[in-house]
Amino acid sequence: MEKYRVDPRTKIIFFIVIFTMIFISRDLVFITTLSILLLIIILLNKKTRREILPRLTKIIPLLVVAFILWSVLYRWSLFYSYGPVSGVMFDIGLFMTIRLFLILLTSLLFISVVSPRELVIALEGFRIPYKIVFTLGLTMRHMSTFAEEYMVIKEAQSSRGLELDKGFLIRRIRNYIPVIIPLLIRSIENAEKLSLAMDLKLFSFERRRYDRGRFGLLDITVIFVCIIALTISTLHYVFGLI
Amino acid sequence: MEALDRVHVENFSFRYEDDWVFQNISFSLFKGEVVAVVGPSGSGKTTLSYCLTGIIPHRIRGERRGVVKLGENDISKVSFQEIVRRINIVMQNYEMQIFGLTVEEDIVFALENLGLDQHEIDARMNWILREFDLERYREYLVSSLSGGFRQRLSIASTIVLEPDFLVMDDPMANLDWRGILNLKKIILRLKSRGTGILLTSRRLKGLEDVIDKVIRLGKSHSEETIIRRDLGAMGNRSVQLTENDSKIISVRGVWFKYHEEDVLKDINLTVNRGEVLALMGANGSGKTTLAKHLNGLLKPTKGVVKVSGLDTRKYSVAELSKYVGYVFQNPDRHITKETVWEEAIFGCENHGLPLEKATEALKLLNLFDKKDRPPYKLSMGEKIRLSIASVLAMDPEVIILDEPTTGQDDITLRILGNIIIQLSNQGKTIILITHDTDFALQVSNRVVLINDGYIVVDGRPKEILTNNKMLHRYGIEPPTALVKQEVAREYGEI
Repeated sequence: MEKYRVDPRTKIIFFIVIFTMIFISRDLVFITTLSILLLIIILLNKKTRREILPRLTKIIPLLVVAFILWSVLYRWSLFYSYGPVSGVMFDIGLFMTIRLFLILLTSLLFISVVSPRELVIALEGFRIPYKIVFTLGLTMRHMSTFAEEYMVIKEAQSSRGLELDKGFLIRRIRNYIPVIIPLLIRSIENAEKLSLAMDLKLFSFERRRYDRGRFGLLDITVIFVCIIALTISTLHYVFGLI
Repeated sequence: MEALDRVHVENFSFRYEDDWVFQNISFSLFKGEVVAVVGPSGSGKTTLSYCLTGIIPHRIRGERRGVVKLGENDISKVSFQEIVRRINIVMQNYEMQIFGLTVEEDIVFALENLGLDQHEIDARMNWILREFDLERYREYLVSSLSGGFRQRLSIASTIVLEPDFLVMDDPMANLDWRGILNLKKIILRLKSRGTGILLTSRRLKGLEDVIDKVIRLGKSHSEETIIRRDLGAMGNRSVQLTENDSKIISVRGVWFKYHEEDVLKDINLTVNRGEVLALMGANGSGKTTLAKHLNGLLKPTKGVVKVSGLDTRKYSVAELSKYVGYVFQNPDRHITKETVWEEAIFGCENHGLPLEKATEALKLLNLFDKKDRPPYKLSMGEKIRLSIASVLAMDPEVIILDEPTTGQDDITLRILGNIIIQLSNQGKTIILITHDTDFALQVSNRVVLINDGYIVVDGRPKEILTNNKMLHRYGIEPPTALVKQEVAREYGEI
C-alpha cells in the first residue's frame, strides 16, 4: 500500500487553517503575504503549476468586477446606513478582491493536491463514522458513471430531435423529462446491482480496515506551524490581543 | 465445508413469473474447467449464472425445480456468504462491482472484507496485481481506465477473494479483439491454477481454444464438446451498390481535441448516398468520435463536416437529426415512453413530422403488431429494432448504427443485416460502427479503418477484412473461416 509523503489528514488540517485565516483576517498586508506564500507553494510544484496557473487567467474578469463593485457600492449600498458617506473606497475594493482571489486560489490548490481518495482516507482518519465515509467514497467513485449515463441519454434523445435548451424555464424543465426518466430508471437498476455487488464482495460495515499509516516528521512540522499561525491570527483578529 | 471439486446442476428449471426461462438443464462444472453457456438474448444466460452463484434464490426469488449443488450441498441451503467465498461472479455490468477510487484501493476493499491482516493483504495484493498485469496501474484512478482494464480489475478483485469457481456473465460484450485476446490469457491463467470457470456469451469467437464444454440455451439444452468456428456463421448476404453515388457526407481536414489530446487527426472522408460504410478500429481509436461529428454531437476543433450540404457547426444536434439518425448502443438507456408506438414517434413529434413513416418503420422492423405494448416487455433484439424504428420514422438520409451487434443473437443479426441491405437499396446511407468483422463483411460495401485518430485504410471489405496482416496490425478481429469462404464465393474465387 502506498504511503503518502504528506498524510492526507495533514493536508486537510492545512486547508482548514488557511481558510479560517482568510476569513478572520482584516488587513491587506496579511492577506497579500498569504497570497504570495500560496503562489510560491504553487510555483514550486510542477503539477500544481501546470494545473492552476492557466486557470488563474480565467478568473481575472471576475476579480475586476469584484474590485469595481466593492470599491463603488460598499458605502453607497442601500444597506449601509451609518457613518460618513465617502463614496468610492478603493482600499476596501482591493482587500475584498485579494480575499476573493485567495479563496479561489486555495480552492484550486485543494482540488489539485487532495484527491478524492485522500479526502476519504483523511475523513476516516478523523474518525468520521464509517457509514458516512464509505457512502462519500462510493458517491465519488460512481459520479463518473452517473455523468456518463447522463451524457449518453442526453445525446441519444437530442439525436432524435429533442431540443433541450429552447424555450423559457418551464419549457426547458419539461424538455429534460425524456432525459431524467431513463436516468432515474438506470440509477435504480444500478443501485440494486450495487447492493448485490456489496454482498458479492462480502461487505459489512463492521469490516476491518487497512491501517493507512501514521504521521511522519513532515506532518508534525506542518501541523505545528499551522497551529501557531492559527493561534496568532485568532489572538490578533478575533480577540485583538496581539 | 469440505473441499469442493464441482458445481452440479441437476434437472434444473426456473421461472420468474409466467414462462419457464429454461427447463431441465443438467451439467457439471469441475475445478480447472471452462464451460461456456451460449444462447440468444432472453434465453436465460444471466438467470443461469445467478442460479449458479446463489443470487437465485438468496437475493432474487422465483420458482425453481431440480437442484444446484455446491459440492454435495444444495445451494439453497448454504448461506450466501459461504457460497460467495466458493463461487463468485463478475456481472455483465461489472462497473457496479468496482468500489475503490483507484485500482489498489479496489483490491484492498475486497481483502479488508475478508478480515485479513496487513501483511496478508500486502502479499495478496502484490500477487493479484502481478497475475493480472496491473502493477503499472496500481495508483491509477478507476475513472481513467478503459473499459477493458476496468473489466480486468473487476475480475482481479473478485479472484483475490480466492473462490474455487468464477462465473463471468457476458464478459466479451464490450471488448474489442485485443481485449478478447487478453481475456483469453486471463482465463488460461485462472484455469491453470485450478479455478473452474463458467462464462456466458452470444458467441465464443476468440475463446474457442480455452473452452472445454459448451451449453447451448434456447430451443434445446444439450451438452456438447468444444465447437469451433461455427458460431459467427450467417446467411449469404450481398449489398447492391447503388448507381446514384452522389456525395452526402463530406469531412474535410477534421481535427478534434479532447482533454488536450488529439482524438481525430486530419480526417478526410467522403461518403456517397446508398453506401454501407463500416467504421472499424480498436477501442479508443476514434471511430465513435468521428461518427458523433456526423450528426453534430461533436463539433470539429479544426476542419469542416458537411452532411447533405449543411455545415454541422451551424446547426444543433436536434436540427441535424432530420438528416442524420443515430442509433445508440443499449436501447435500455434511452427508451422513455410507455408504448412501442409512442417511442417510435418520439422523433417525429419533436420535429412535427407526419407519422406515416413511423408506421412504415414499425412494419419494416416487424414491430407493428406490438405497437401498444410497453417497450420494457420487449426482448433485447426487439428493443434494438425499436430504436432503429424511432430513427427511421424521421426518415433521415444517413443512419449511424453504433455497435448494433453487441450482445445480439444470430437471428437478430440476420434481421438487422437484411434491414441494412433494404435501407441501402432505398438509397439510405448507413454508417456502421462495429467490431464484428463477419457482420461487416456481409453487409457493408466499404470499410474505413481508424487507428490512433487517423484513417489508415479505406476500401472494399473483401480486400481489407480478409487481409490478416492488416487486421492484426490494427487490432481487428479476423473473420471466421466460413464467412471468408462465403465472401470468396461471392466474388467468384471458389
